[in-house]
Amino acid sequence: MNHKVAVVTDSNSGITQAESKELGIIVLPMPFMIGEDTFFEDITLTQEDFYNKLEGGADVVTSQPSPEAVMDLWKDTLKEYDEIVYIPMSSGLSGSCQSAMMLSEDFDQKVQVVNNQRISVTQRQSAMDAKMLAERDMSAVQIKEFLENDKFNSSIYIMLDTLYYLKKGGRITPAAAAIGTILKLKPVLTIQGDKLDAFAKARTATQGKSIMINAIRNDMETRFGGASADNIWLQVAYTKDVDAAEQFAAELLKEFPGFDIVINPLSLSVACHIGPGSLAVACCKKIK
Amino acid sequence: MTNTIDAKILAKMFLAGAKNLESKKEWINDLNVFPVPDGDTGTNMTLTIMSAAKDVAGMEDPDMASLCKAISSGSLRGARGNSGVILSQLFRGFTKSIRDKDELNIPVFADAFEKAVETAYKAVMKPKEGTILTVAKGASTKARELSNDGCDDLAFFFDEIIKYADEVLEQTPEMLPVLKQAGVVDSGGQGLMQVLKGAYDAFLGKEIDLTISADTHASPVKANVDVQADMEIKFGYCTEFIIMLSRNFNIKNEMDFKEYLESIGDSIVVVADDDVVKVHVHTNDPGLAIQKALKYGALSNLKIDNMRLEHQEKLFKAGLEPAKEASAKEAVMPHKEVGFIAVSVGEGINEIFKGLGIDYIIEGGQTMNPSTEDMLNAIEKVNADTVFILPNNKNIILAANQAQMMVEDKKIVVVPTKTVPQGITAVINYVPDMSAEENAETMKQEIGNVKTGQVTYAVRDTVIDDKEIKQGDYMGIGDEGILSVGSDVSDVTYQMVQEMMNEDLELISIYYGSDVTEEAAKQLKERIVEAFPSCDIELQYGGQPIYYYIISAE
Repeated sequence: MNHKVAVVTDSNSGITQAESKELGIIVLPMPFMIGEDTFFEDITLTQEDFYNKLEGGADVVTSQPSPEAVMDLWKDTLKEYDEIVYIPMSSGLSGSCQSAMMLSEDFDQKVQVVNNQRISVTQRQSAMDAKMLAERDMSAVQIKEFLENDKFNSSIYIMLDTLYYLKKGGRITPAAAAIGTILKLKPVLTIQGDKLDAFAKARTATQGKSIMINAIRNDMETRFGGASADNIWLQVAYTKDVDAAEQFAAELLKEFPGFDIVINPLSLSVACHIGPGSLAVACCKKIK
Repeated sequence: MTNTIDAKILAKMFLAGAKNLESKKEWINDLNVFPVPDGDTGTNMTLTIMSAAKDVAGMEDPDMASLCKAISSGSLRGARGNSGVILSQLFRGFTKSIRDKDELNIPVFADAFEKAVETAYKAVMKPKEGTILTVAKGASTKARELSNDGCDDLAFFFDEIIKYADEVLEQTPEMLPVLKQAGVVDSGGQGLMQVLKGAYDAFLGKEIDLTISADTHASPVKANVDVQADMEIKFGYCTEFIIMLSRNFNIKNEMDFKEYLESIGDSIVVVADDDVVKVHVHTNDPGLAIQKALKYGALSNLKIDNMRLEHQEKLFKAGLEPAKEASAKEAVMPHKEVGFIAVSVGEGINEIFKGLGIDYIIEGGQTMNPSTEDMLNAIEKVNADTVFILPNNKNIILAANQAQMMVEDKKIVVVPTKTVPQGITAVINYVPDMSAEENAETMKQEIGNVKTGQVTYAVRDTVIDDKEIKQGDYMGIGDEGILSVGSDVSDVTYQMVQEMMNEDLELISIYYGSDVTEEAAKQLKERIVEAFPSCDIELQYGGQPIYYYIISAE
């Protein structure tokens, strides 16, 4: 193969540095500000440290990767590869994508920034898809176009344990912010390409999970051409509580027998907005 | 021998029927199977018929058409409670059949009775025998039989019908086991008999006082206030305000603040939002609450009422007002696509409903069933194309359905919520992106997944569900009947929760009423936490009268 396309994404995809080597996907660590200090996801900040600080009341602020870090990574990568497909986190949730597009202008079409509004497990799936398309000898531009055409073929539902972090972070649409009451509620949010939005409310985890299962089934059947394992990638994501995620995956498997369910922690930049104890289910239409 | 009557006599008979029902109201209330201090059949039926009687009494020289219109629309609008709604539907069917006649003879009466019964059966989703419907049907069957036999003496006709309907009423305990066990006949059926008997007396020319007083709906609220009159008010000032936060108000601040309020009062509600905190407390020293609050920011919307004075006033004015309107001080709300009305009672529960997005609260679910007219007014105020109504009481659903049928310019969806927790579940499950029909379907399904138990006291001795109940006992009432009885309110509640639980349930919510101290409620919560360690237990101030605890498990 003489023409080499690299797939680069950021750590919001949930792809760890270790996995990155295995999958052949290059991962840019996202920076976090905690107090005065800057940390890098999965490099200088583990999931465990992160939750300890978050629950301890620390103000955790995400920020875009610095232009320098992005360009350095691209330059390094281009020493080995001819082109780059760069898949940043959803432009609906962060300005990273916009910045990356601007930065890519200096790279003479060699860096193609994909604006397909994915996050977490669906962003991860996009990176894997890109890798597969690159192996099919598609060019970076072709892959970008393919992924952008495919962008609405994914769906995420997230049940939160509390509204506290969401309100604190302010990264929430007005509809979701209106869920405020003295009762304890478990809000179910959805990400359909763009922003985090309110979908439904539940009082118990069982109710919330049942709402998510029904919603994802409905999406599979009405939007993605049927709930079958050949057609759909099914994913579970979580913040902090891996046992709850595994149990949820087992419950999903009963509902969707034969599916291969990927379980991944939600990336910390999402986790800092929704807090620990969240559970998510996502699906993506498989590309043919 | 009289064989026809005109509108004037019919009007007199109607008023006499209404009067007679009113005079027997308390007696009929006592026939309620559940000896709970609420939703009384006699009161509800009286309020329903009096709403029409007022209109009829105001008519001079009525003709048949206008008399029928007054009876029908007056009772439809005034309908309260299930028996009241059924009564109003009986009148509606009856008057529909006779409104274009000048005089009524026996065949016309027989037709009208049949039309009345047919209309009332249709108004009820699942008609039950052994109720007012059965008694009405008995009267109608007898009327048809007499008419077919060529009877033309109205006095004999009415007398026979009443005798036969009374026999049917006596049979109601055989049709409904709950009546038999409680040793009573059906209260709605008895109410209907009193209307018929009063009307017959007027027909016979007996001297009857037909003055209809303007404030007939005084009595039920009065009954309510009397109960509360014995209650001592421990903290005298109802204090409400909003803190506009000037500094951080985290969970710990919130706990500290609540704890402080608990040390100076009760009935505490503290709702923190992004930059404001809404505060409600009953205390003897509002100044302390205000001073403490000032540490967190500037205050707005302050309101302090002396509840002891108000209480006096309430006793004094007892019930000259209809069901109170809790929200919506503003006359016109901004237009919305979808609005929500809930019937609620108790300031804590009102607050919970408002927090969940209810636009308008009709207060008075337990002791005062709102009428169809109260519903219509609420619907009018909620300026929305689609209005969901949550009756939150099984005795209010029919009145809401009736309102739904009377509204033409808006889409009305009645979610048949029988309890406050079902209402909470329904509104929580509302999804803005779905159609009204899909939402109604989901809500109906979800309310089936929440169990409710309510604790109140017995107003008389009786036997229900094989449990012997003495006047003054506490009773835990579940969705299907009495779950526990006893003389200690906490024990009864605890036993009720035990009865309600199964292994699939994971959340128990406790809403404590205005007659329970926060301390007692907390102790009860601890007992329940110990008994069900794997469940989440949530304690909320409900503030409802009459019901010490409303508990849901889901």
